[in-house]
Amino acid sequence: MDAVSQRVMKYLTEVEEGAEDILTAKQQIVDLDTRRNRNREALNALKTGMSDSEKVKVCFGNMFIKFPKSMTRQMIQRDQEQLEKEINNIREGLKAKVSCLNEMQGQPELRGYNLSPLSSDEIKAMNILLKR
Amino acid sequence: MVGQLASRRAAGVILEMIKDGHIAGRAVLIAGQPGTGKTAIAMGIAQSLGPDTPFTALAGSEIFSLEMSKTEALSQAFRKAIGVRIKEETEIIEGEVVEIQIDRPATGTGAKVGKLTLKTTEMETIYDLGNKMIDSLSKEKVQAGDVITIDKATGKISKLGRSFTRARDYDAMGAQTQFVQCPEGELQKRKEVVHTVSLHEIDVINSRTQGFLALFSGDTGEIKSEVREQINAKVCEWREEGKAEIIPGVLFIDEVHMLDMECFSFLNRALESDLSPVLIMATNRGITRIRGTNYQSPHGIPIDLLDRLLIIATSPYTEKETRQILKIRCEEEDVELSEEAHTVLTRIGMETSLRYAIQLISTAGLVCRKRKGTEVQVEDIKRVYSLFLDEARSSQYMKEYQDSFLFNETQNAPMDTS
Repeated sequence: MDAVSQRVMKYLTEVEEGAEDILTAKQQIVDLDTRRNRNREALNALKTGMSDSEKVKVCFGNMFIKFPKSMTRQMIQRDQEQLEKEINNIREGLKAKVSCLNEMQGQPELRGYNLSPLSSDEIKAMNILLKR
Repeated sequence: MVGQLASRRAAGVILEMIKDGHIAGRAVLIAGQPGTGKTAIAMGIAQSLGPDTPFTALAGSEIFSLEMSKTEALSQAFRKAIGVRIKEETEIIEGEVVEIQIDRPATGTGAKVGKLTLKTTEMETIYDLGNKMIDSLSKEKVQAGDVITIDKATGKISKLGRSFTRARDYDAMGAQTQFVQCPEGELQKRKEVVHTVSLHEIDVINSRTQGFLALFSGDTGEIKSEVREQINAKVCEWREEGKAEIIPGVLFIDEVHMLDMECFSFLNRALESDLSPVLIMATNRGITRIRGTNYQSPHGIPIDLLDRLLIIATSPYTEKETRQILKIRCEEEDVELSEEAHTVLTRIGMETSLRYAIQLISTAGLVCRKRKGTEVQVEDIKRVYSLFLDEARSSQYMKEYQDSFLFNETQNAPMDTS
């Protein structure tokens, strides 16, 4: 291969890698959100029904273990917080990846998405303008 | 666009500078004879800036009105040309409703409980519903098969439409039923929307005497300077907190020689403020009187303002360019022109004015259609040339027959008052 086609090849590989990276991150968010929702369902299920002293069966991998209810709840809540944090991190990283890909493909970057959002009060005040 | 290479190149340089945000608070003057494409260049700049950069155009005479002072009209125009970019962020749950299950208490009154199953193409989950959510779901008449979003912060439910997969559930359906795809990806999404508003719009909303209805009536009246100061302060605060970006846009004032001395001194002052757009002005005057004074100045603009400007000159079109412009114009107006007619028209354009030649295209087209021809011939051009006078022939006519016109002043000898 001559130098030109090698350069094109390298460029295309970079673009493809960038795109693949974005898709992976998106899929990761979906997977984490699935887990988050399942945890939420579990917490709801723990809220209703039986008394606090009872033990519940928790599935770890391919094994069911009887576990005290309060401890289970704490465990899931901790997991939930961790998930929230991870999803937020991936979302932040996603923006950088998308603008990187846009730059590689010579597309204009998305402007304004790196601003910090207005607070809900401020948005409420601006809404008259925004919902034109 | 045709011709004007030098001035278009200059405009291109300025365009790049505007895009990079370098020349906020500067001003550009496009000067040239009538009909040399000054307005066209300004419009071209507006087009290339894209929809994201605010562009306000006004003619110099537009600022003279009874309802508003001149400086008020000018400062409104300035603020219309400054955009503020802000971001709105909401957490939403978006999905297709698979099932709603509501348990009513046997007694008829009391708290209702229920379950809502939502899905996307990737996942599905069950939400427990409280009394309030059940109420808003039934108020929105949400059914299985609807695609809905729930705002996480407020709990507001909005229906986006019905899912395609449920399209054949009923035969009798209103025309307003919208079908949408089942949403993709995660259920709990973050929605970020970037808005661009102009400072003037925020002014209008916050101008207390008018209230927000003023935006719709179109007539905004004068805005108090305190309101403007408050808004400037708020916007600057947002900018410092990273909540807003200020986009200096472009304010285009056509026929700028129509402004008077007060306006010019206002412009001088306004260009110095830290929230200032790029000002583009156009004029076709040479050395002339500045409006509102007895002083003569180039372009009818005071020297001190002129000193701040980058000046782009446009020159008259050459014969070849005129020919090309006329051709483009013909295509635009759907008029077929024969080769000879085109040459004749180009000559007319060179000798009288380009605008006159362009006027002749449509009139000649009509004459041609009247005689059921398909292509405009030299005869058609001749006919309309004899029917409609150009500026030079009209003044010639005036000179010959001015005695018979009413109110003619040039010939009257000064009245003997002694």
